[in-house]
Amino acid sequence: MAAAAMVAAAGGGDFSDLREIKKQLLSVAERSRERGLQHSGKWAAELAFALEPLPLSELPPPPVLTEEDARDLDAYTLAKSYFDLKEYDRAAYFLQGCKSQKAYFLYMYSRYLSGEKKKDDETVDSLGPLEKGQVKNEALRELRVELSKKHKAQELDGFGLYLYGVVLRKLDLVKEAIDVFVEAAHVLPLHWGAWLELCNLITDKEMLKFLSLPDTWMKEFFLAHIYTELQLIEEALQKYQSLIDAGFSKSTYIISQIAVAYHNIRDIDKALSIFNELRKQDPYRIENMDTFSNLLYVRSMKPELSYLAHNLCEIDKYRVETCCVIGNYYSLRSQHEKAALYFQRALKLNPRYLGAWTLMGHEYMEMKNTSAAIQAYRHAIEVNKRDYRAWYGLGQTYEILKMPFYCLYYYRRAHQLRPNDSRMLVALGECYEKLNQLVEAKKCYWRAYAVGDVEKMALVKLAKLHEQLNESEQAAQCYIKYIQDIYSCGEVVEHLEVSTAFRYLAQYYFKCKLWDEASACAQKCCAFNDTREEGKALLRQILQLRSQGETSSTDVAAPFFLPASLSANNTPTRRVSPLNLSSVTP
Amino acid sequence: MASVHESLYFNPMLTNGVVHANVFGVRDWVTPHKMALLVLLSELGRAGAQLGLLERRRLNRLLLPLLQGPDMALSRLRKAIEECCPHLAGSVHIRLKLMAEGELKDMEQFFDDLSDSFSGTEPEVHKTSVVGLFLRHMILAYNKLSFSQVYKLYTALQQYFQKDEKKDGADENEMELTNPEELDGKMEKEELAGPLREEEIACSGPLSQKQAEYFLSQQASLLKNDETKALAPASLQKELNNLLKFNPDFAEAHYLSYLNSLRVQDVFSSTHSLLHYFDRLILTGAESKSNGDEGYGRSLRYAALNLAALHCRFGHYQQAELALQEAIRIAQESNDHVCLQHCLSWLYILEQKIFDSCVLLEHSVNKSLHFGLPYLASLGIQSLVQQRAFAGKAANKLMDALKDSDLLHWKHSLSELIDISIAQKTAIWRLYGRSTMALQQAQTLLSMNSLEAVNVGVQQNNTESFAVVLCHLAELHAEQGYFAAASEILKHLKERFPPNSQHAQLWMLFDQKIQFERAMNDGRYHVADSLVAGITALNSIEGVYRKAIVLKAQNQMSEAHKLLQKLLIHCQKIKNTEMVIRVLLCIAELYWRSSCHTIALPVLLQALALAREYSLQYLASETVLNLAFSQLILGIPEQALNILHMAIEPVLAHGAVLDKGCAMFLVAKCQVASAASYTPQKKIEALESAILNLNEAKTYFAKVDCKEQLRDVLYFQARLFHTLGRTQERNKCAMLFRQLHQELPAHGVPLINAFK
Repeated sequence: MAAAAMVAAAGGGDFSDLREIKKQLLSVAERSRERGLQHSGKWAAELAFALEPLPLSELPPPPVLTEEDARDLDAYTLAKSYFDLKEYDRAAYFLQGCKSQKAYFLYMYSRYLSGEKKKDDETVDSLGPLEKGQVKNEALRELRVELSKKHKAQELDGFGLYLYGVVLRKLDLVKEAIDVFVEAAHVLPLHWGAWLELCNLITDKEMLKFLSLPDTWMKEFFLAHIYTELQLIEEALQKYQSLIDAGFSKSTYIISQIAVAYHNIRDIDKALSIFNELRKQDPYRIENMDTFSNLLYVRSMKPELSYLAHNLCEIDKYRVETCCVIGNYYSLRSQHEKAALYFQRALKLNPRYLGAWTLMGHEYMEMKNTSAAIQAYRHAIEVNKRDYRAWYGLGQTYEILKMPFYCLYYYRRAHQLRPNDSRMLVALGECYEKLNQLVEAKKCYWRAYAVGDVEKMALVKLAKLHEQLNESEQAAQCYIKYIQDIYSCGEVVEHLEVSTAFRYLAQYYFKCKLWDEASACAQKCCAFNDTREEGKALLRQILQLRSQGETSSTDVAAPFFLPASLSANNTPTRRVSPLNLSSVTP
Repeated sequence: MASVHESLYFNPMLTNGVVHANVFGVRDWVTPHKMALLVLLSELGRAGAQLGLLERRRLNRLLLPLLQGPDMALSRLRKAIEECCPHLAGSVHIRLKLMAEGELKDMEQFFDDLSDSFSGTEPEVHKTSVVGLFLRHMILAYNKLSFSQVYKLYTALQQYFQKDEKKDGADENEMELTNPEELDGKMEKEELAGPLREEEIACSGPLSQKQAEYFLSQQASLLKNDETKALAPASLQKELNNLLKFNPDFAEAHYLSYLNSLRVQDVFSSTHSLLHYFDRLILTGAESKSNGDEGYGRSLRYAALNLAALHCRFGHYQQAELALQEAIRIAQESNDHVCLQHCLSWLYILEQKIFDSCVLLEHSVNKSLHFGLPYLASLGIQSLVQQRAFAGKAANKLMDALKDSDLLHWKHSLSELIDISIAQKTAIWRLYGRSTMALQQAQTLLSMNSLEAVNVGVQQNNTESFAVVLCHLAELHAEQGYFAAASEILKHLKERFPPNSQHAQLWMLFDQKIQFERAMNDGRYHVADSLVAGITALNSIEGVYRKAIVLKAQNQMSEAHKLLQKLLIHCQKIKNTEMVIRVLLCIAELYWRSSCHTIALPVLLQALALAREYSLQYLASETVLNLAFSQLILGIPEQALNILHMAIEPVLAHGAVLDKGCAMFLVAKCQVASAASYTPQKKIEALESAILNLNEAKTYFAKVDCKEQLRDVLYFQARLFHTLGRTQERNKCAMLFRQLHQELPAHGVPLINAFK
């Protein structure tokens, strides 16, 4: 059988024979298409496109037809055309009794899809609120019965196993589903769909370790993908880099994945440049453009976002991603009602598109409609418990409602999901500060700084806390680090707190009788509007005192010296464990 | 006294109506069951005058629960109607059968005809009557259905009817299984049976909205009143998860899940559920803005308050305080005095954990009365009484206060608080050492019919007050030497409050205390020692005290003394007067055991003063006994006899059997000692009466199986008989003494010197 030959060929985790890989990709794309598995086919084709074209002699031969295939050919051809027209029941009807693998798969698959389609239609008009959640794909059980029989008899090929796995997953039989998907990956490693399903079912690194996966080059793609999903960005980026080095440099799939990975670790500039590159290579691409628009939004790049929105709208305005981009665009223009409308539209198009729930929550927050925001965030969490943005958003909502203790729980959840994200830590710190739990607050700010502070506010806040607690030395340390941070970044952005830092330092040095440092800082103070007068006054005082006690001041040892260089490379990619904030962290 | 109150400030959704939220709108949906009801109504209208008066009345009484109740299977409905009027049941069935086995148009026709009942000059149904409203609701809901929904309703009706039919004809179906197709289907089913079974149990059929509501309210009230009857925590959680899977918007389910998690002390999932509930509640609160409820701000306050309650429950007092502050702040900002009152009572509970202060509480009671919150007010009064009782305030005033609050309870039928009040009286009487009064109060509560029973039909017997009362009852019985009865009560407690339930710790403590006492009486000190660890785990102060007692009994005086001194300082700090007096008594005993009677005296006097001040009568009389004993040893038996008269009465009236025995023994000793100076004639009389007293002491000791004391009494009695020259009786006593003496090892303290 053709499949068996292919499995043998697909073995080996190396990329030395790109031609062979290309051949495999082309043939699997063809086979996926024959079975109506559009997405897997697309993925394989995209990847194949990234490789050098093959000469005519090396093109894979058309799949060999067996006796069975020939017998079912007519029914298959008819049913396939119905299938392509989304007439699933009709396709299934004509495929009844077909024995060949291809026809059988299409038969089962169209039954499955018909059930799914009906389920989606049912949800719209059900007989009451309680029944709404009960709408089930009626076909699933029957499919499971038949497929499990075939599975026991070992009559399922790779595609059949994949379908069986999907059915099991839909029935919430996760464990069985994982086993079947792993089996499917072993039988037919080239089928990306099975790997992708596996990605969705694996929730942590430990689970990944205990899977026995086939040792093929596809595994590398899978690992890279799942590392991205599990927020193990550094590992993911490494994998993708090695894939690019192996010869897939032109693959738009890999480029987009890398961009998403950079987005996840909030390396905005890199992500933006990669997305721009991607747009150049693949201008009509809609996938991942929502992520791109998020980045543009964060950087407030209005013209670019507007261009992207219009462009996508021209390509296809009824795509989830398009709606999302337009929503972001309106949000950036502070037209939040419209933004919410577009996110709602995105959800109508795909109720499982969880990003939109969170974004909608953000819009409602902007509109000060806190209850709607809470609803949206809760929905997002229901779809995906690990959506840290929604937890964070809930925390923010309650913070706005002036419930600092209440929102602690939500921030903590967010922090647990993203232990190395400074924003949650700063938010936690602020809450603790409001609750007058200064020790915890200090812990949070310090950790926020340690994991790499994005907004550069943690240190100032920490310094102010120390100031409050009369720990002047620590406060000065923090201000120094803060100033170093700001200047080492080379950002000329007006930082409001820089002046405060210099003012404090000037006072501090003045108290320590370190006249040189004090006057240096006071001079810096003069550069800012709000501290100019104070700086001048301090300079005068210093001059006075200096003239009085020239000798005594020199031999006072400095309590500390400026650290030459602070570790500026606090890359937030490092995985750290969540902060243990107090004995009770439910 | 156990803190009856703390747990009562919980469950705000259930008691007191703090949070009433109806997440579901009033929207009705047509279901097959409701269609059956509609058929019943129309048949009722059609039958009209043919129905007898009795049948008519029965049917009318049936209708209301049917209209408001959850959906039920057709067979049950039919049975219910049959009980009222078999004739009507038949015609309803036929109408349904015609509709279900007919076509879609039959159903459509049926709904078209329904609205006719309103028309005409003399309509069958009044538009605004209960039935009329129901009919109109249904017609409206039906008219709103889209085409496909109508069809779905029809198929649902068919299924509803067929399910009933199938049940009837189950036997016939089995006969038909012989044809091959059916067999195939059967086989498939069997193959699946294994793995699918679990799944099917998990989702044992989705509940309809009313059913779900009914399920929730039923389980919630069971959790509150009789936890053992509610579903087990695991299975309840499973049901709830199932419910939430089908309808994530069902907020009350989250609250129940919170209560359920509290049962198993799961801080993580309970927090999660609680917050989830309020997140959901806020949504619906926003919708109901129109009915003047100032929107979701209200639920925000209660959310924070509930969070405080949760943290308090798990002993995170600092967190609880922070949450409470938040609740208070929000409530203040929005001028919600009712919420503020709740906060205030909570503040009291939290403060109580840190230091005693009744200022807050008094304030709370006043304000609660002002805002018309009888529940909170009398809960406050009860807390206040409890606190004052510990602080040694005048007993008559306390009882007065309780009586007044009782009036309030009966007026507002707060049955829960009535129970608590009685339980509290039991505890207070026990504290004052009036065991007969305590016994009477305990029996009152147990034999009282709860008000709730009349209302809902749920026997409210799983609350903390019942646990407290039963525990006291067990101890009282054990004190009187009825150990079998005590263990019977404990067994009952164990059944009613399974070990993992909230109030189980109470009976565990009492159980171990009773066992400890028994072991001490029997002189099995190693057993007692092993029980100490268990007691310490449940109540550390009690544990330390018991440890000291064991050490004392094992003659490790210096260790015992050290421990007692530490305990004394601690108890004085936390103002646990009862324990202070007991420790003082214990210390005094240590002194006289070491023959330092002169040092023991001031300690005893201190204890006596304290006991008098706090009107702890029983402890006072026990102190007097000790004092008398010291005086006896110091050679002033006349004085000892004098003060003994003061103590003997309360001891005999309220005391434990062991104490009664000791007291009588002591009286006899004093009589003998003071008889030394009498004239011979008088002396004989005194000795005779001493022998009688000893006899009484003997019966008391025999009751609680105190062999050591029994031996001492026998020895003493033998000596007295010897002095009186009554040889036969003397020999008898001596023989009994000899028997006991051989059984028991001799202990270190000289016989005559021991009082206890």
